[in-house]
Amino acid sequence: MSITINTTINGKTVSAGAEASTSLLEFLRDTLEYKGTKLCCNTGECGACTVIYNGKPINSCVTLAADANGAEITTIEGLADGDKLHPVQQAFIDTGAVQCGYCTPGYIISVKALLDRTTKPTLEEIEEAVSGNICRCTGYAKIVDAIQLAAQKL
Amino acid sequence: MDYFEPKTINEALALLAKHGAEAKVIAGGTDVMVDIKYKEEPGCLINIKKIPGLGAIRENGGSLRIGALTTIRDLETSGLVRDKLPVLWEASHQFASLQIRNTATIGGNICRASPSGETLTPLLVLDAKATIAFADGEKTEPFTSFFQGPGKSTVGSKGLLTAIDVPYPAQGSRGVYLKHAVRGAMDIAMVGVAVLITPDTAKNSLQDVRIGLGAVAPTPLRASKTEALLRGKPLTTALLKEAAAMAASESSPISDQRSSAEYRRWIVEALTRRGLEQTWKAATGKEVA
Repeated sequence: MSITINTTINGKTVSAGAEASTSLLEFLRDTLEYKGTKLCCNTGECGACTVIYNGKPINSCVTLAADANGAEITTIEGLADGDKLHPVQQAFIDTGAVQCGYCTPGYIISVKALLDRTTKPTLEEIEEAVSGNICRCTGYAKIVDAIQLAAQKL
Repeated sequence: MDYFEPKTINEALALLAKHGAEAKVIAGGTDVMVDIKYKEEPGCLINIKKIPGLGAIRENGGSLRIGALTTIRDLETSGLVRDKLPVLWEASHQFASLQIRNTATIGGNICRASPSGETLTPLLVLDAKATIAFADGEKTEPFTSFFQGPGKSTVGSKGLLTAIDVPYPAQGSRGVYLKHAVRGAMDIAMVGVAVLITPDTAKNSLQDVRIGLGAVAPTPLRASKTEALLRGKPLTTALLKEAAAMAASESSPISDQRSSAEYRRWIVEALTRRGLEQTWKAATGKEVA
């Protein structure tokens, strides 16, 4: 059964139909063409699909698209201001915290949500904020460097 | 697949009555969505997230009433939970990732009735009760009789869990939730053990002991023989050893990809010993003699 979803993505009002069983991730990628949010484990374990939902980071792969109704969602596409990258994005580049890049959008969204909560995160808060994001390339140290740099810049 | 968003408990109960076993209740979705993607779609999905009034945590006399739609993150960030029910707070804090905690609900964790459900052994040792709405009225069920098997509880296919009542533990009591997993909080527990003890007023013996075991039987369970062995006695090294071994014998774990049954029994023994030691020391200020 198809349902209509009225939602706000990156500040833009959107209305589109989806099958009731559609996940928010499938709705974003396949229906609305926001391809920056990544599909990886599809079970809520790796964090590649992280988006900000009403101010909180969530795994869009295990969230019903129907729950986007009336919600405000921020995806990776909503961070840069035109050609100017968000400080978190720039910090990931400056510290070399990106290798294959597949997990990066999820990380950046988790970090954006962290820095929205607190501008001076402790190392413990940083580690907790990204404990639901898996990176198989970097070994995490440079990601922590990037988060600390982003926190300084913000 | 049919899809409904009831706005009241009664509306949800009517949908459950009509659609019966083919209906699946969804709230946060962190478990149900995985089933939909990897197992099979239910005939009908009933999303209860829009029912108002089910997401609050409030004091109710000497207990905390937690709405079924309360997220794990709400528990983790609640000063009341941290202050009054530290065992439940510890389990919420060790519950998967921040992303999952922001979505998953305590009601979902309970109704999933997984033997390894993180909040379940704390609820067992806290003597919590479930409030379940049925078409013919509300029923209160203690968690000691709530779970019937993996995925099965007294909620059945016609009921709706609406709230959890958790009495405050006795003055002077101390509790702990210990989880054994490879990837910290992210992982499903190989074994989870919750211990809650209350010493006598002189702090010489165990007036009350409650031990909850998770992921080591078809349901989370209380180690009632071990509790009986310990009750009324001072915690000595010999008694601690005997109690830990007894807790292991009360478990009936399976072997799966996370660990063998034999390993799980060893872990039950170790965590029970550790939990008793820690809580005894915290509650009495004494080492186990």
